[in-house]
Amino acid sequence: MVRRPIRRSLPWLLALAPLLAACSRPAATLPTTGPLPVGAVLALTGNASLYGQDQRIGLDLARAAHPGQGRPLALTIEDGGSDEAGATGAFQLLIRRGSLALIGPTLSQQAFAADPIAERQGVPVLAPSNTATGIPQLGAFISRVSAQSSVIAPLSIDRALKLLPGLKRAVVFYAQDDAYSTAETTIFQKALADRGLKPLSVQRTQLNDQDFLNQISAALALKPDLVVLSLQAVDGGNMVRQLRELGYTGTIVVGNGMNTPNIYPLCRRACDGLLIAQAYSPELDTAANRAFVQRYRAARGSALPPQLTAQAFTAWQVVAEALARLQSRRPLGGLPLAEVRRELNREILAGRYDTPLGPIRFTPEGEVIQERFYVAQVKMAPDGRTGRFALLP
Amino acid sequence: MDTLLQILVNGISVGAVYALFALGYTLVFSVLGVINFAHGALFTLGAYLTYLGVGGAVGSNGALAGWALPLALPFPVALLLAGAGCALANLLVEAIAFRPLRRRGAEPLLYLITSLGAGVVLVNLLQIAFGAEGYALPADALGDLPPVLSLAGARIRSVQLLLLLVCAVVMAVLTVWLERSRGGRALQAVSEDAVTARLLGIDSDAMVRLSFALSGLLAGLSGGLVGLSVSIAGPYFGIVYGLKGLGVLVLGGLGSVPGALLGGLVVGLAEAAVPGDLSGLKDAVAFAFLFAILLLRPQGLLGRPPISKV
Repeated sequence: MVRRPIRRSLPWLLALAPLLAACSRPAATLPTTGPLPVGAVLALTGNASLYGQDQRIGLDLARAAHPGQGRPLALTIEDGGSDEAGATGAFQLLIRRGSLALIGPTLSQQAFAADPIAERQGVPVLAPSNTATGIPQLGAFISRVSAQSSVIAPLSIDRALKLLPGLKRAVVFYAQDDAYSTAETTIFQKALADRGLKPLSVQRTQLNDQDFLNQISAALALKPDLVVLSLQAVDGGNMVRQLRELGYTGTIVVGNGMNTPNIYPLCRRACDGLLIAQAYSPELDTAANRAFVQRYRAARGSALPPQLTAQAFTAWQVVAEALARLQSRRPLGGLPLAEVRRELNREILAGRYDTPLGPIRFTPEGEVIQERFYVAQVKMAPDGRTGRFALLP
Repeated sequence: MDTLLQILVNGISVGAVYALFALGYTLVFSVLGVINFAHGALFTLGAYLTYLGVGGAVGSNGALAGWALPLALPFPVALLLAGAGCALANLLVEAIAFRPLRRRGAEPLLYLITSLGAGVVLVNLLQIAFGAEGYALPADALGDLPPVLSLAGARIRSVQLLLLLVCAVVMAVLTVWLERSRGGRALQAVSEDAVTARLLGIDSDAMVRLSFALSGLLAGLSGGLVGLSVSIAGPYFGIVYGLKGLGVLVLGGLGSVPGALLGGLVVGLAEAAVPGDLSGLKDAVAFAFLFAILLLRPQGLLGRPPISKV
């Protein structure tokens, strides 16, 4: 009785075996025709979808601007959700489908889980938005175009002290369950302490928090004149609004998570005056950036492109130019996939790129070397609905 | 003293929202004995509808990019209309995710899955329509009310008082309606024993639909109020409240209306009592507190112990 079902299903299992094996194994060599596959893992659903949305626009614009020289490039975007499981699943899927390189994932938190998978399989990963310390150090195949927080974050503290030298009482907020926030707040706190402004209080929140009355009440009791936030856009926008509503009138410095115009609809007029250090400014006067801004405005109307869009555009540009250089040396079709990926990684790291972020290149470890950073202040329009990151001189 | 008052006000105002939210769960649970996991999505829908009602425009990324109603309604009107919209949406959820299973006498676990599916679909539809960005209701939505009031050294946001007031009124109206009206007593009869209620001439199906409509109304009202208080943090922001509401429902006692109120206040106060610099742990504290109470009273604070028939 036990044997019959097995005997019956055995032919089916044998017939399916090659199919299952083919599904689980990448093609060993790169096909000689057709477009070259590149994958991107973006947070298109979940709490970080706000960022994924901006990044998708950047990739769409970049594909039109850099379709690939030689064989065209084919982009497959997978939704990595807003958590580690989503990103690792999407990485595995794209690697199995034979992607030559991966752009993403959106969050540093996801990168720490997903990047080691690509590293083990020798697939180059170019991060467009991971700023936490230690991302390129995850392996030889991991690099990023998003400058790390430790380089950028202290600039905004310096600018705040330049604008108001008398600042003495700092309070820090960060989301304790987010890799970006915890990495950035360490840098902020060190920068404050180095400048004689040891925080009076460090308030911890969680990514999904929306009501900060308790933390703000505790912080305002200390009468701060400087508040430093390492929060993502949604919780950060809420925090700024509630801080102002509860009577805080001092300076607010925010981190990279709030480096998006998507904070405007949340904190509205309360966004006015926020200080932020940036890796991208739409006001950068270079040919590459002017062309990028023009493309963005043609597609999206009068608004200026946000940093995440510019960085995603840059990530694609880097991959496209590196692949073009590889193809100009020899045809890639028929080569083992592992070899193409290895050479592409080498080419990405060796190249110099003229991008909307300005001229960039990479350290041998995969860290971006960028010439210019900026400090901006949010200026809201009188209607309180729209605003801009005004570059400070 | 002022710190204690601040904690009390913060805790009660948050707790009132939890209570209002959990009451929606309670109404459906008391009638059907199952939990509607689409409740969090309806809460989100309520917030978006309120935002549109007060004249808010859709951002630049959704399918409805740039769209806004041609008129801006006063906040109370927008809130009530949003509640009504959510009541209709919950009737749709009942028709799609609950009624077909009920007719087949399906296991309660299946309702959980179908309602969860309905909630996920609704949230994704919201993301397609509105994009992933957050929205805030305009600061002048409350008219000339000052944003913050001072009371004995404590800073109280006007919206906190409004939350308290609306929750108190809704609770009172609902309690009176359940106890005194014919419809309310019929609903209670169905929740006690649907078969006996049917023998007494009560239309059980109509009572189920009524409980879903009321539950949707409460989800919409609480979503609109929270949207005003802390903004709409994207299409997924109902999930956190969904989890908290579930905790409150169990803590207060499954199916108990006063239990939902008490549970909400207890969880809100437990969260508010966590010191500011440890407030990242407030969820852990609130749920640990819930766990401890349930060890002592498994039926919840005001729930009835199950009767064992021998």
